Amino acid sequence: MSRCDHCLAAFPDAEAVRERDGAAERIFCCAGCRGVWRLVREEGLGRFYDERRWEADGLPAAVRPGGAPPADLTAYRPVPAADGSVEVDVAIEGIRCASCVWLNERVLQRTPGVLAARVNYATHRARVRYLPATVALPAVLARVQAAGYLPRPWVESEQARARDEEVRDLLIRVGTAWFLASQLMIYSAALYAGYFQGMDRATRSLLEWISIALAAPVLFSAGAPFWRSALAALRHGRFNMDSLVVLGSGSALAYSAWQALRGGEVWSDTAAMIPTLVLTGRYVEARARRTASEAVARLASLRPREASLVTRGEDGVTSCRRVPVEQVRVGDRLEVAPGERIALDGRVLEGRSEADEALVTGESRPVAKFAGEPVIGGTINLAGALTVEVTRVGADTLLAGIIRAVDEAQGAKPRLQALADRAVGVFVPLVLLLGVATLAGHLWSGAPPERALLSAIAVVVIACPCALGLATPVAVLLATGLATARGLLVKGGDALEAAGRATEVVLDKTGTVTRGRPALRRLVALEGGDEAALLRLAAAVERRSEHHVGRAVVEAARALPAAVEPRVEALRVVPGRGVGALVDGAAVLVGSRAFLGEEGVPAGEAAALAAGPEGEGDTVAWLARGGRAVALLVVADPIRDEAPAALAALAALGLRVTLVSGDARATTAAVAARLGLPFEAERTPQEKRSFVAARQAAGARVLMVGDGINDAPALTQADAGVAMGRGTDVTMESADAVLVRDDLTLLPDLVQLGRRATGIIKQNVFWAFFYNVVAIPLAVAGVLHPIVGAAAMAASSAFVVTNSLRLRRTFAPRPAMAVAAGGSVGPRAVGSAP
Amino acid sequence: MILTGLILLSLALGLAAWLGFVWSVKSGQYDDPEGPKYRMLDEEEEEGLRKPGPPEPPRV
Repeated sequence: MSRCDHCLAAFPDAEAVRERDGAAERIFCCAGCRGVWRLVREEGLGRFYDERRWEADGLPAAVRPGGAPPADLTAYRPVPAADGSVEVDVAIEGIRCASCVWLNERVLQRTPGVLAARVNYATHRARVRYLPATVALPAVLARVQAAGYLPRPWVESEQARARDEEVRDLLIRVGTAWFLASQLMIYSAALYAGYFQGMDRATRSLLEWISIALAAPVLFSAGAPFWRSALAALRHGRFNMDSLVVLGSGSALAYSAWQALRGGEVWSDTAAMIPTLVLTGRYVEARARRTASEAVARLASLRPREASLVTRGEDGVTSCRRVPVEQVRVGDRLEVAPGERIALDGRVLEGRSEADEALVTGESRPVAKFAGEPVIGGTINLAGALTVEVTRVGADTLLAGIIRAVDEAQGAKPRLQALADRAVGVFVPLVLLLGVATLAGHLWSGAPPERALLSAIAVVVIACPCALGLATPVAVLLATGLATARGLLVKGGDALEAAGRATEVVLDKTGTVTRGRPALRRLVALEGGDEAALLRLAAAVERRSEHHVGRAVVEAARALPAAVEPRVEALRVVPGRGVGALVDGAAVLVGSRAFLGEEGVPAGEAAALAAGPEGEGDTVAWLARGGRAVALLVVADPIRDEAPAALAALAALGLRVTLVSGDARATTAAVAARLGLPFEAERTPQEKRSFVAARQAAGARVLMVGDGINDAPALTQADAGVAMGRGTDVTMESADAVLVRDDLTLLPDLVQLGRRATGIIKQNVFWAFFYNVVAIPLAVAGVLHPIVGAAAMAASSAFVVTNSLRLRRTFAPRPAMAVAAGGSVGPRAVGSAP
Repeated sequence: MILTGLILLSLALGLAAWLGFVWSVKSGQYDDPEGPKYRMLDEEEEEGLRKPGPPEPPRV
């Protein structure tokens, strides 16, 4: 038994492909992997093997090293540039760590004719610029495939493109606003000094006009979206946060211009700071939302683009050719090779195999496929070749349905209105009323109209709470930073608030409450004998198996002390049934009871022993030697060690917990019973989503936790979606938070942090208003000095920041935990990207 | 007069910085904030490889 030096997969020694490397010898599981290794070495990129951090072995299922790149190039959209080069976006499948990105970039950059190649770490999108005169696109893609990765066309929805544009636009606005505001502060500082030390009139006037000139573009150029939004709201007779920004900073600027003419005090710094702070908050939010929208783009690129269509010629001879999936019609026949993704939904006509449907249905075990069985597009055909009759195409397929559901849930999810927004709806009319009252009051008491108007404007300006722009972002920034340190990624304030308000938790089973990797629970020796020897025997036969039982057995055998390898001959795999071989001359079978029956091995009394674990949903495999059943292998997906503690903590926080699974009823019931949870079994992704929606309709605020694509619609539907760190990328991106450490005890931490952060934000909003409200009576009286106004602003901002710092005391130090976390997270964090 | 000159100078410097910022955003330098921290390590070590290092072990 050895491990491939390239893909790290385990394989029997007899099949090794060897290669001299200086003094050492390298071994590979196949010629393809050797080819990749040679390429990497020839390019002088050997460092890849030292730096990479792969958590799973083997290559992505769809990659066959050395295989030809897909012939369908129509889905790639190269964009010609002015200098004769062409730029194309390629999604690269199989990237697992920072070194993979590095390797892909180097391999591409060293392709003659390629001018530049950059791979985005977050999205795995390669942007390649090349000279079409020197190198053709298929040759570029072939390089990626030669390196052991799978190139796919990058599909980006119009929506995603628009969001990208929005983030970029906001970044320029924020940058511009801060640039102007910081310049403005220099002049404000000089002016403030002037109030105390005296300044000659000409200089003061010059500085005042410069400060107004700097504030105006913040308001009218960088702050243009505020005007648009405020005007739109006004047309409907409503006020929003933008109305307040426009009102406050607009009147401050108008007042400043007037005062500069009259020789009074200017407030241009206020006029600039209000939009700047609010814009900063908006930018942070938009970034978080863009991450979410990338999920759909990645999900869409999972769909196979090509299929092998079987056609019958006029002479009755059938042939097979690759066509884009768009050309496939219902009723067509497709050929699906082992290891390939099934292109569309259909029904098996010929062949026998197993399919990995975990991605779509959540079923943890490979599903047997034989004639008449339905297959799902996007799932992976594991064992044998299949001929499939297509039953659904395009938007009707199951995968397309899931993508639509995620899209809809994302669009329909009402973005939790910022606390500030709610307060503002009441506050703005009040301030306006007060302003009008001040004007009327001063006029009525006989003040000159000019002075009355100035006092009224002063009321509006001073009432506009500048710290409101900071109230949420600062608290969110601190809380997310705190969460990250604990191994929790939280995507923004909305996610925190939602987690804090959750009243109910819905947990996915496979991969969330359980490890998602079946393990050997126990071995029952039927005729006595050495259990270790029996396990070794089973492992010897199952060594090459991709089946989950085989993997669990091999994994368990690896823990045994080393022993002489038995000689395995005449290995045969019967998909969906079991494995047979000659081990040291004796016929050994590992497989289902039915398989043993077919091979003429009686189950005998042991059948009763198998019934118990089977009733609990565990898989029972039989081991037979020399025509007699000798052992039972009970394989199950074990519950995570920390699950009971995490569930107890959630209950202590007053949360109701439900288990929801796409897996079979018996399996789910067994896990639920062990944890004492109510459960819902055999739920499709859409049903999971509607279950969450039903709970929400019943008044619950749902926090959903899951790891698979089949959970993605439910995660987006839930008030707060949490993904496991080992989950698929799509799941992590549709979630509001990710448990990076894959540790369920982080869930109660998340809820606690959310509750606390929401509380602090509420306090911040209150105090941001409070300081300004205190200054209002002075403004109404018409005696407000600009210094008082500035002091009120500074005090409220300082208060908001210090109050947010209290968040750091959310978690009492837990020394034992800290050590454990340091031990498990440390090496990864130091080494490289996960 | 000196004051006006200095003010103009500071505004001009600020304007140059701002133009640089707008250019950097438009050329996509802020599109992947995750990557550079890893990329920095890569580039550095690659530079290191080019320097004369310890001799390779003799081939057998």
